[in-house]
Amino acid sequence: MVKKIIFMVLLVVNVQAEKNIYDTNCLACHKQLSFNLEKIFFRYLLKYSDEVSVKSALVDFLQEPNSDISVMSKEYTRSFGLKQKSELDKEQLKEAIDIYWEKYTVFGKIK
Amino acid sequence: MLVSKSKATSLQKSERKTLVSFLLLYSFFAVVILFFSAFIYYNLQKDVMLREQNSQLKEYSDELIGKLRSLHEDFTYNKTYPRSKDYNSAIYDSSNKEIFSTLIKNEVDLTKHLYVIGNKIHYIRILERYYLGTMYLVIEINENEKWFNFFKIKVLLYGVALFLILLIAGYFLLKLLLKPMRESLYLLDRFIKDTTHELNTPVSAILMNIETFPRDTLDEKSAKKIHRIDIAARTISNIYNDLTYVALKNQVNSKDESVNLTDLIKERGEFFKIISTQKKLVCNLDLEKSVVIMIDRGKITRLIDNLISNAIKYNKKSGSIHIKLRKNYFLIEDSGIGMTKKEIKEIFERYTRFNKSEGGFGIGLNIVAAIASEYNLSIDVDSKLHIGTKVKISW
Repeated sequence: MVKKIIFMVLLVVNVQAEKNIYDTNCLACHKQLSFNLEKIFFRYLLKYSDEVSVKSALVDFLQEPNSDISVMSKEYTRSFGLKQKSELDKEQLKEAIDIYWEKYTVFGKIK
Repeated sequence: MLVSKSKATSLQKSERKTLVSFLLLYSFFAVVILFFSAFIYYNLQKDVMLREQNSQLKEYSDELIGKLRSLHEDFTYNKTYPRSKDYNSAIYDSSNKEIFSTLIKNEVDLTKHLYVIGNKIHYIRILERYYLGTMYLVIEINENEKWFNFFKIKVLLYGVALFLILLIAGYFLLKLLLKPMRESLYLLDRFIKDTTHELNTPVSAILMNIETFPRDTLDEKSAKKIHRIDIAARTISNIYNDLTYVALKNQVNSKDESVNLTDLIKERGEFFKIISTQKKLVCNLDLEKSVVIMIDRGKITRLIDNLISNAIKYNKKSGSIHIKLRKNYFLIEDSGIGMTKKEIKEIFERYTRFNKSEGGFGIGLNIVAAIASEYNLSIDVDSKLHIGTKVKISW
């Protein structure tokens, strides 16, 4: 019984440890939204095309959310409001965005 | 010496050489101009062909953009790139990074709109909305080679026809331009030939009459005058022979025969003996008996005469001339003014005269060099300034 408890505790600790900055700071909230992160990614891709521009636009928006630079429609931001300013610093934001890019990038996925 | 009638009436060698050189140069420039024109025509034809393909390529790109849009929207479920049997394609993001490609020719120039690479045509279109991040869309189709085959045939036919027309025009143009010059040269040539011919009779008459003149009956003063006339007549005769050789050398056929050089040098020595007495020169002949070579008698006579004449002309008063003949060489040595090494290099050039106080045109050694070259005779000149000159002719 003691062994089982120890095993469960270790499993929970391990799962927590595997969660990265993107999972804990981005995915956790966006999971509950109707507009998922993949759709947002493709909106950025549609507007900014390459990796550097997409990442830079994401950093700018997350640091200073603004309806003018948002990829979402005006109707959407009017109905649901703008995202709150991110509490992550620039380096942390970059790290989270790098993970986000790798997760949804089209490079190497097209057949 | 025989004058060849056919050569005299046909184009002269130098004129023919000028004609050939001009036509070669003219042909070269004509070919360059034709190539340049063909190049411009090729580019025009290529542009026409590309314009014809442009609308078709735009249709293909519209079709592909539609399919990219669908793929962008359904990327979660479908990741298969839209392909077509009519064309290949590729997509690039705004940093020119390839997103996906089915191109055969992968070297893409995204700065151009439409171009040919190998046997393929590339059409580049910039998208307004970047589906899957695509800023540049490339459509690749096979080049229609019909136009190029048609172009090759046209250029070959027109090119050859135009080249021939230019060549014929050039030939007649040159003939027209050379006509007045040719007439002037012909007149000058005729004048020189007529003059030299007309000189021959009086010079021969003077020489013959002086030789047969009974000098014993004359007083000392008159004998001296006759002697001077004799020297002058022989000098004129030598100049006359040189001029005849230069004037007619292109139109004279060599008539080689066995020439006894021993006898010929003795004979020419006798001829020049009177001239040499004017400078009180001592002449030594060291001739091997019966040295015979195959050569044109007139030409070898000009060669020997010019060497002896120079040895006399550029000698000191009371100097000496030594003539040596052996089986394979002939040497003439004088005790004259000599030459520097630089002067030796230039002596065989026409109209070269180092001592302007002496008479002549400076053509003597040029004639010697021309004859030696014709018969593969080697000339060695050894000279020391103020000591003398040795000229050796070997065969």
